[in-house]
Amino acid sequence: MELKTIGLTKKFGSKTAVNDLNITLSNGVYGLLGANGAGKTTFMRLLCNIQNPTSGKVLLNGKNIVGLGEQYRNLLGYLPQNFGYYPDFTALDFLLYVAALKGLNERTARKKSKDLLEAVALSAESNHKIKTFSGGMKQRLGIAQAMLNDPRILILDEPTAGLDPKERVRFRNLISAFSKDRIVILSTHIVSDVEFIAEEIVMMKSGQIVHFGKPQEITSEINGQVWECLVPTAYAEKYAATYNTSNLRNTDNNQTILRIIADRPPMENAVRVQPNLEDLYLFYFKGETEE
Amino acid sequence: MRILIHFELRKIFSKKLTEIALIAILLLSVLFGFSTYQNKYAFDGKSDGGTGKAAVEIDKEIAAKYEGILTDEKVQQMMNDFAPKSDLHGMNAAYLYQNAMQSAAFARFSDMNGNWNGLSVSDVFGDEEIKIGYTDGWLSTSQNMVKIFIVLSMAIVIMIAPVFSGEYEGVDNIILTSKYGKTKCTTAKIVSSIFATIFSTALIVAFNLILAYMFYGKSGLDCSILFAPIEYVEGFIPFNITCGTLLKYQILLAFTGTISVMGITLLLSAISKKQIVALVASAAIYLFPVLLPVSETNPLFRYIGLLPLYQTQAISLMSVEQMSNGMLYAVWAVPVSLIFLGIGIFVSRRAFAKHQVS
Repeated sequence: MELKTIGLTKKFGSKTAVNDLNITLSNGVYGLLGANGAGKTTFMRLLCNIQNPTSGKVLLNGKNIVGLGEQYRNLLGYLPQNFGYYPDFTALDFLLYVAALKGLNERTARKKSKDLLEAVALSAESNHKIKTFSGGMKQRLGIAQAMLNDPRILILDEPTAGLDPKERVRFRNLISAFSKDRIVILSTHIVSDVEFIAEEIVMMKSGQIVHFGKPQEITSEINGQVWECLVPTAYAEKYAATYNTSNLRNTDNNQTILRIIADRPPMENAVRVQPNLEDLYLFYFKGETEE
Repeated sequence: MRILIHFELRKIFSKKLTEIALIAILLLSVLFGFSTYQNKYAFDGKSDGGTGKAAVEIDKEIAAKYEGILTDEKVQQMMNDFAPKSDLHGMNAAYLYQNAMQSAAFARFSDMNGNWNGLSVSDVFGDEEIKIGYTDGWLSTSQNMVKIFIVLSMAIVIMIAPVFSGEYEGVDNIILTSKYGKTKCTTAKIVSSIFATIFSTALIVAFNLILAYMFYGKSGLDCSILFAPIEYVEGFIPFNITCGTLLKYQILLAFTGTISVMGITLLLSAISKKQIVALVASAAIYLFPVLLPVSETNPLFRYIGLLPLYQTQAISLMSVEQMSNGMLYAVWAVPVSLIFLGIGIFVSRRAFAKHQVS
């Protein structure tokens, strides 16, 4: 299966959210990274055909998704960034409703809903009304609804928002187990989530793709530019403000280790270290607000 | 599809505002029905008089005495039986109210002093054969139903406004990316809206009819509305139809009115991004004809009268014309409501399927 965009562009008035985007996605997990306003959500909506492109198109195995209609949506699972719900529905009712929208028969819908509630640890709350749920519980319910029809293309916009670390691990495991022979695209606030499960990273800036590749490959771009320096804790904040700092770690003896991204050694005692995705993210989006 | 319709109906009827509106209308029906019944007054012209149940019984007894086809002899007998026994202090006897039958007779055959005005039955009603009897109960029911159906139309607006626009507040992106989100889901929403409208209208109609039947029985349903007590605007419908026919038309118009309102609301719901916008706009469109400077005598009223507000008001529309086949012009409300419904369905289907999430 191949999902391809050709010259995909979306403008809102004078603002270009997605700009002439060309990408080909085949089976695998894709992590979408970008700062606020980079165009990630718009890109995902265009892939879901719930926003019309200003120009360009999305093709599934060579066919325009607009023409495929139901056939395309049957393959799709989507978790929006902020989704609404019916406050008086229970979690199970909500899943049964979405299952009906997805064309599952009653028996399959019930079984699938129960399995997914179990998978997202909501079994005990399956008959509780959604209005009683916390943000994290609603998010887990959202993840479950997206996976109801065993989608071949799963698009998740900020799926880990509101999840605690334990839930994030559960989510990562769920996606990893699910992703075989499917296209999974996810954007997240938490770079480490992407690092763990994404096979490919798509970095977006100003509506365009600035990087696309495997995590190890794209981090190699800043090889030799990530340093760790030991400084007195009293001066740590001052240094952190001066340099592009990706991490501060206090040690026992009033010393702090700064992780700095810079072309040259920022201090005499600087030690070159292996870059990670978070470093790359900061390298590209320093000064921009995280979405 | 069955499951989708079930869920859509649940969404409509589980809304607090819908439940409150329907319960309020049922309570309003009880309040109107009961207060009208309790406020009934009748005096037989001799010694017996009363209110409420007693008044209805007196009116029925008097009606039984004259029931059948109205003749000049019956008119004379009524004028004698109900002749004022005390000074009217300058009041026009046509407005005198002792009981329903007396009021109906005096409104048409009395001079200012309560004497016969010299008009015969044919002078007043032409060649029409006027069947008389106890019509007061059902006529007051008809009057109450006008108010109740207007409130019901507003309740339909409240019920239907969120059908599409409610989804735009967050669930749209889940619905529209699902297999049947742009097809069967839209159909289910429309079918559910139609069902909810018909069910609610039927419920309110049935409730009011049962209530009226408990209070007044079925007497008078086969009698002409033309010989109605003076306070009934229904009596000014210039066609010799029975009370039963009046109610049938009124019920038909209640259904056409609510279906028309539903069509308008469905359309606005699909094109409005906020429920409140759909709700206010639908209510405004429903009520705006009252602002039009078109009276019932204006030739334009033939067309204005077919708008949903006048359909639910019924009486004005029923006064327009009796067609050559004996039916009233008001039946045009049926195709008009189907047009409103058709436009609502067509536009809402397209608008929802093409909706761009934001």
